[in-house]
Amino acid sequence: MVSDSISAVPIPSAANTKNPGKKKRTNRSAKLKQYKIDARREQWLSQGAVKSKGCKDGVDDDVVHAPPPPVNHGKHSLEPLNTRRGGEEDDGLIHHDSDSESPTNCPAGVLCGNDSGTNFTGSSSGGSSSSSSSSSGGCCSGNITEEEEEEEGEDDDDGCLDDWEAMADALAADDKHENPCSDSPPVVSPCEGSSIGSPNSKPESGRLVPWGTGNSRAWRADDAFRPQSLPNLSKQHSMPNPDRRCVGGVPWGRLPTPSSCPICCEDLDLTDTSFLPCFCGFRLCLFCHKRILEEDGRCPGCRKPYECDPVETEASVHGGSLTLRLARSCSMIERS
Amino acid sequence: MQASRARLFKEYKEVQREKAVDPDIQLVCDESNIFKWTALVKGPSETPYEGGVFQLAFSVPEQYPLQPPQVRFLTKIFHPNVHFKTGEICLDILKNAWSPAWTLQSVCRAIIALMAHPEPDSPLNCDSGNLLRSGDVRGYQSMARMYTRLAAMSKKG
Repeated sequence: MVSDSISAVPIPSAANTKNPGKKKRTNRSAKLKQYKIDARREQWLSQGAVKSKGCKDGVDDDVVHAPPPPVNHGKHSLEPLNTRRGGEEDDGLIHHDSDSESPTNCPAGVLCGNDSGTNFTGSSSGGSSSSSSSSSGGCCSGNITEEEEEEEGEDDDDGCLDDWEAMADALAADDKHENPCSDSPPVVSPCEGSSIGSPNSKPESGRLVPWGTGNSRAWRADDAFRPQSLPNLSKQHSMPNPDRRCVGGVPWGRLPTPSSCPICCEDLDLTDTSFLPCFCGFRLCLFCHKRILEEDGRCPGCRKPYECDPVETEASVHGGSLTLRLARSCSMIERS
Repeated sequence: MQASRARLFKEYKEVQREKAVDPDIQLVCDESNIFKWTALVKGPSETPYEGGVFQLAFSVPEQYPLQPPQVRFLTKIFHPNVHFKTGEICLDILKNAWSPAWTLQSVCRAIIALMAHPEPDSPLNCDSGNLLRSGDVRGYQSMARMYTRLAAMSKKG
């Protein structure tokens, strides 16, 4: 049946070429591709249907409600796992370990909100019958994330594309050594747990509450182990606030200033980070904003038309956000 | 052009990361052209598409992400909002409700959601739409299930 679909559907690259010899060659390569995809499909079909069932619900649900924030999903979903392990260790140890974490990792972790959280709970609740396997998979993707951020590229196009499960196993072994360094996010997890309130994250958030609630800091100010590389103490401070606000229904509000533009993926500079074109809180770089204004002029976050006076919006950033968004403007000041 | 490449490359990396997390979607980028993608999505459970794996072809415009990607089903599917012959999909987020904040991955999720919740009032497949609009849910389901078996399950099945 699938071969049927090959012949029925003209493959664009093949259709365009006029030279018959070339056509044959492209046809063959297209067939090869199709064959690969078919093989993938077969393999996938035969793979445990058990695993997938539960996940569907979670995934489907969160699609319909809101476009997922495009930043760093994979990483965040593991935090409950990692923190659980971390939580059992000595406090001092954790802090010491997180020294090694680059400062960019932390805010990035903070960025990803609800969406990835639900993904995780979905997959883990589904995998409860096979929880061990799914959780190890989760761990691995987390590690991949971090490694990739530190040493960009290289391991992108090696075996992990075709044989990611083997990759996952290998990384799981690696995981034992690496695990502690993903411990700095515990501060995030309490917020996550409370905002989602899923059965799965409860144990973790419960354990973490003592850290999270007291003064909403992970490190005491006099803590010798507090990494100096982390300027985000104030950010941790402000974290619970955006989160609480987001329960009130501001879809992008929970996102603190992202480090790169979600549209073009370029880094945000200082001007960009203090630019808040829409009240929904969706941030993007000035360049993309201008391009969007030239086209349909709607905010990507809420799809409402931008108010077209950039001067006015900028003014409202300075005046308005200080009063309306105290938490975020705090972190903005920290940044600059 | 440059922006769309950077963005697609980022999405490519994101997809590599997420693979283990999102078991219903496999997104594969064409090896030679980053503007062509293929996706395999699983038919959602408790629908007539359950058990099937559907292949989608993405063609990403150079203005992406300001313009939506063009997506169509390569696997035959009996669904009110999918053209039976061409595989064209009638979905608002692929047309006027597109937002640059969406990704190829989220488009796949939206398509899975569309499979679970057909919209018979804007049909591309009139037969399917008419079945649903006339209240013949059973008829629609059995047709859809039949085509899922024929086209979207493994070759022997």
